[in-house]
Amino acid sequence: MEQTTQAEHSSNKHEIRNVTIVLTVLTLLELTLGFMMMRMADGSTAKISTKIAIIILMLAKAYYIVAYFMHLKHEIKNLIMTIVVPLTLFIWFIIAFLGDGESYKNLRNTYDAHKKAVSTQKVEIKKETHSEEGAKH
Amino acid sequence: MSNEAVLHTPSSYAVHDDHAHDHHHHETFITKYVFSQDHKMISKQFLITGMVWALIGGLLSVLFRLQLGYPDSKFPWLQDLLGKFWVEDGRITAQAYYALVTTHGTVLIFFVLTAGLSGTFANFLIPLQIGARDMASPFMNMLSYWFFFAASCVMFSSLFVETGPFSGGWTAYPPLSALGQASPGSKTGMDLWLISMALFVVSTLLGGLNYVATVLNMRTKGMSMTRLPLTIWALFFTAVLGILTFPVLFSGFILLIFDRNFGTSFYLSDLYVNGTVLPNEGGSAILYQHLFWFLAHPEVYIVMLPAMGMVSEILSINSRKPIFGYIAMVGSLFAITCLSLLVWAHHMFVTGLNPFLGSIFVLFTLLIAVPSAIKVFNWLTTLWRGNIRFTPAMMFAIGFVSLFISGGLTGIWLGNSALDIHLHDTYFNIAHFHLVMGVASFFGMFAGVYHWYPKMYGRQLNNTLAYIHFWVTMIGAYLIFWPMHYEGLAGMPRRYYDYSIWESFKQFAELNRFISTVVIIVFATQFLFLFNFFYSIFKGRKATNPNPWGANTLEWTTPIHPGHGNWPGEIPEVHRWAYDYGKDDREFIPQTEPVGANESHH
Amino acid sequence: MSTPTTAAVPTKWWSGGKSPFNVEYGKLMMWYFLMSDTFTFGALLIAYGTIRFSSNSWPNPNEVFQSYPGMSEGTSAPLVFVSIMTFILIISSVTMVLAVRAGQEMKKNKVVFNLILTILGGLAFLSCQAWEWTHLHHEGAWWGSNPFLNEDGTQSSTNFTNFFFTITGFHGFHVFSGVIINIIMLIMTLNNVFEKRGHYLMIEKAGLYWHFVDLVWVFVFTCFYLI
Repeated sequence: MEQTTQAEHSSNKHEIRNVTIVLTVLTLLELTLGFMMMRMADGSTAKISTKIAIIILMLAKAYYIVAYFMHLKHEIKNLIMTIVVPLTLFIWFIIAFLGDGESYKNLRNTYDAHKKAVSTQKVEIKKETHSEEGAKH
Repeated sequence: MSNEAVLHTPSSYAVHDDHAHDHHHHETFITKYVFSQDHKMISKQFLITGMVWALIGGLLSVLFRLQLGYPDSKFPWLQDLLGKFWVEDGRITAQAYYALVTTHGTVLIFFVLTAGLSGTFANFLIPLQIGARDMASPFMNMLSYWFFFAASCVMFSSLFVETGPFSGGWTAYPPLSALGQASPGSKTGMDLWLISMALFVVSTLLGGLNYVATVLNMRTKGMSMTRLPLTIWALFFTAVLGILTFPVLFSGFILLIFDRNFGTSFYLSDLYVNGTVLPNEGGSAILYQHLFWFLAHPEVYIVMLPAMGMVSEILSINSRKPIFGYIAMVGSLFAITCLSLLVWAHHMFVTGLNPFLGSIFVLFTLLIAVPSAIKVFNWLTTLWRGNIRFTPAMMFAIGFVSLFISGGLTGIWLGNSALDIHLHDTYFNIAHFHLVMGVASFFGMFAGVYHWYPKMYGRQLNNTLAYIHFWVTMIGAYLIFWPMHYEGLAGMPRRYYDYSIWESFKQFAELNRFISTVVIIVFATQFLFLFNFFYSIFKGRKATNPNPWGANTLEWTTPIHPGHGNWPGEIPEVHRWAYDYGKDDREFIPQTEPVGANESHH
Repeated sequence: MSTPTTAAVPTKWWSGGKSPFNVEYGKLMMWYFLMSDTFTFGALLIAYGTIRFSSNSWPNPNEVFQSYPGMSEGTSAPLVFVSIMTFILIISSVTMVLAVRAGQEMKKNKVVFNLILTILGGLAFLSCQAWEWTHLHHEGAWWGSNPFLNEDGTQSSTNFTNFFFTITGFHGFHVFSGVIINIIMLIMTLNNVFEKRGHYLMIEKAGLYWHFVDLVWVFVFTCFYLI
């Protein structure tokens, strides 16, 4: 066992550097998308697809950290499975929770007219004062 | 990092195996009985703490059954005993009633049936049955118990708070649990409840990580996963469930603590309390229910699985037959584990859950019937044509199967969202989960105690007391919970303080009184068990045979009083599965026996 | 299931007497602990998502997080400061990998050097977070108070800040405990504990925890600052 781990290490000499570069590039990509998103209208298809792209990039980053930094990729396959398989629970976890959140919003918008009126009423803009206050500190 | 070296790092005993007899570590009372790192002592600590809690939890149920069964009677002596908060004018107060119900639920589910059941038997059986000297990390194991003990202390202290213990139901739904001004029980009592539960989550995680790591890493030579006794499989899946779901509860509680103390509104929106409008906006009480049931449904299986595992083992040993369908049993345990993680929202059909999502939850829920039925059929076929020895443990194991069937069938009713509209929050529901999860798991626990008592204390329990205990508890459980089905079908809601003021439920007054009487009898009978247990520790018949039940598993190859490290010499090697009963005309063949040359295959 | 004459399995990882994953129990426990902690953070982030999905509108993070220390008045620089924070954490993760690697090669001085860098990275991140929290607090944001409007100009509930402070706070707490763990590792290394033990496995476990903290930030960063 000793030998193989040593061999792996030397073959992965550049791995750390490469993964660092990949992570940096992915973060920069995310930021670029984030900046692009600012000009998109709320709820537009473009914005939603950008968000999905950002989430995919996030998962890619997570993959690189777990696989290389945490060294999971070089562990025995069964160990990888015992960690990855339970995480698939998140799929249903997310779908059910967010789906029900969405449904709660729709229910209230349909049956609670007052609530809907209040939550769609625009506030008179006093934002400037806030950011000025913030800048002072 | 060579495997061998790493494997044995935790057990320093391996080094001085040979002298294990002559110089036992100089253990003081404190290190042997209090801050012990021996898994056997820790398991006894869990068991006895669990028994104390079971006694308290049971006593609470007797008190609120007094109110339900005898709403018109007065108990001035109770007032002298408990004081004015609990009993006023000879009647249990409404506030106290809700506190009793809440504490009864919390204590029995978490402290007795989680810590007391899986804490006891996972600690006791995992190292003994897989052939390890102790848990992977004995120190974390000790911490696990002491966190549980701390949780117990905090919960116990909440019983003595001026405003009373938490009284919003064991599910602690906000807004009631989040707003101190909503009810006296939601004040200090709730803070203590949350602290206690947070400590409890830490305890479960410490324990669970240890169990999983031990089962995976510390099996003795030859003990492949498919040779593990079913107890170990069950305890393993229990630990996995705990690791995956308790953190979610923990997160839910963090948000609840913030809602209570720091002015947030994660769960709060659109509220009036005592005529004043609260500023909280934008939260969702359903979110809490999702987070809570994400744990609390698997929690049902955390409670059930250890009982299932022990029952499988005990049924096979005492039928003198191999367990029927070992792989199917493991597979159905695995299927139950997976499915139990996906079905949490079936507790929430009527809370405003999206009906479409609800239908998916119905589907998953009803799927659980498949592995559960596989298990039941396998138990029954194990019994079939067995050479059954009706030991007390066997009686309780058979009782478990009976209760599991009776309670499980009503689960199919409740799992349907359409039927649930009528049945939710009624006594039907109470009957269902008490039978299938409460009493059944208790029976698993009793079976385990009766079965492994000689290994724990080197003495035997008294059988006569055990049989009386079994029959009264068994018949009593059915007499208590069977009638509740009828009450529930008639629409009688749970968690009501006094039914006598409702015209439609007056017909049940006598039935309620009957149930309460049986509750008192069954509760009293448990003292037989307690007496038997504690008396036999000191005065019981001494076990003379290290393997009194003729069982195959490794724990019976240890001496009658195993020391810290379990086996005095080498750890035994395993050559076969745990269920070679009645094979080749031999009554049983221990796992340590090498496979003979002309042994038959099966 | 039959009596086992199944001797001819190529690598008998599961036959007992050894770890099926070829790892010591401590590392296994650390992995499973991190898995359960994933569910803690997952639950918090999913709760955040659920509330956001059940709201008609939500504040735009680019309008909230647009400052950095010493910024001149009237300008706004969305995402800049948090990108620096993200980068600090990634780099500290890299130095941690180097420390673990050095440990496997039994090079004590290299371990010490990289651990110090990691600790500094963690402290830098915590300082950034402290500044950001203070800044937001001065703007009037805290648990239970939210000065920011929704993206569409409607009144926002306090849950934007509630979740922000709770989740970044919980993450910050993890960073903090990670720094403490790393400091302990540093002291143990300096005292030659691992040299005497003959292996630096403890550092590997500390490393796993530290990378996990970095991993969680990837998700927190995306969920709060970007989308």
